[in-house]
Amino acid sequence: MRRWWYLARFFFVAPPMPLLMIGAFAVATVVAIVSVIIDPARASSALTPVLLLQLFACASGFDVPARRGHYDLLLTHGEPRRRVIVAHWGASAAPGLLCWLLIAAVRYAISNGSERTLLLNVGTVTAMILVSTIPWAITVRLPRFSGAIGWLLTAVTLSLGRPDMVAVQAGAPIHGATEWLVTTCAVLVYPLLLVGRDLHGRDLLVVVPGVMFAIAAVSIAFWSIDRRDIPLEAAQ
Amino acid sequence: MAPSSVFVSVRNVTARYRRREVFRDLTFDLRTGQSLGVIGANGAGKTTLLRMLVGCLSPAVGDVRIGGFRPRDATLRTSVAYFAGAATLPPNVRATAWGTLGSGEATLADRRRIRALSQGMKQLLGLRTVLSRHPLQLIVLDEPWEGLDTESSRWLNATLESKRDRGAAVVVSSHRLHDLAGFCDEYLFLMPHEARLMKAHEIARVGPVTAALLTDTFDKLRERPKAPFEQPGQEYRAHS
Repeated sequence: MRRWWYLARFFFVAPPMPLLMIGAFAVATVVAIVSVIIDPARASSALTPVLLLQLFACASGFDVPARRGHYDLLLTHGEPRRRVIVAHWGASAAPGLLCWLLIAAVRYAISNGSERTLLLNVGTVTAMILVSTIPWAITVRLPRFSGAIGWLLTAVTLSLGRPDMVAVQAGAPIHGATEWLVTTCAVLVYPLLLVGRDLHGRDLLVVVPGVMFAIAAVSIAFWSIDRRDIPLEAAQ
Repeated sequence: MAPSSVFVSVRNVTARYRRREVFRDLTFDLRTGQSLGVIGANGAGKTTLLRMLVGCLSPAVGDVRIGGFRPRDATLRTSVAYFAGAATLPPNVRATAWGTLGSGEATLADRRRIRALSQGMKQLLGLRTVLSRHPLQLIVLDEPWEGLDTESSRWLNATLESKRDRGAAVVVSSHRLHDLAGFCDEYLFLMPHEARLMKAHEIARVGPVTAALLTDTFDKLRERPKAPFEQPGQEYRAHS
């Protein structure tokens, strides 16, 4: 436990994302809470900016700061590399997760606990899992934000070239393997559209592969960083 | 651990960055309570060797053991201090906060962000942070005197001597030979395609090792005509 505490302290002192991002999360959360209070029915759209910020916050990149020596203290302090990587992911995802839970708590309080909040249903949780894992996994060996920028470019390009993907993802029934594949890809590219949706039965056939993909991406990222040498940029 | 037992063991180690060979077939031992100075021209592989000792890099060939363990396992089982210079500190972190990450106590009472500190202050912050832990069994410092003023240099020398006297094995690299001179028990000269390990008494038969003697030895080693087996691409090793 002491070791985890040290890791948490390290990433609290030296967060993997810019401090500006923390400020942006604070602003987005305040705006979301205000809009939820004014119109509780708009809770799903109020969460969208937080998810977008989470996309960028989690695209924090491990390899580049490690090669600059920023994590030398941590890597030689007696912490297993795997634990360091898990802590890095946790520190990247924590601000967005906290903001989400705060907004959900406000939404729940407003409804006096009389209804299940849309912000904690399967669709929202899935969206949060996808934006908290895939950008981190993609960016782990790349410069900061590159995974999020790539993801946004893909989403914009596809929405212009294949608008049917967005429509399919929005809840149309699935017929055949090709449509299943397209819908699964759509879930991965447009996870924000899952926010507030209750997923049942056939929806899960689309969402589960997306979550499995996210878990596989994170596992590969862990494995690749755990095995990798960390030379100093200046020494190569 | 028995006093004066071999703590750092480097055996036939070759380092490469992709196809570029940095050094080859390097062999040396370092005992507890001993200090090794690594001297070499730019690009000779000083930083690479030091990062191998702390498990950040793996040798392409050969074996490195710290206290009998592979370096990455050794950092979990032994207490290691490693600092590779002011440039490795994250610039946006507050100096006071960073200083607490060593032993938990603040090592520098400066609330500015690291990027706002002078080169010497950054260096001092990094050194104080890693050296504040007790006890230390291995200290690996890359150009530690860089940017330090006289007082800070004196503090560093005294701290390293004190830690070494308490049994820490110390490995330091530096271009500032007058800082290394007299401090180390052994000196490893890294040159392109050759490495040479020399004990202090081999460099200075009488009296302490001085910067002039180190410079002279290094120059002689660099100018020494290579034997056929020492030509690039051939076998060579650091030998005492």
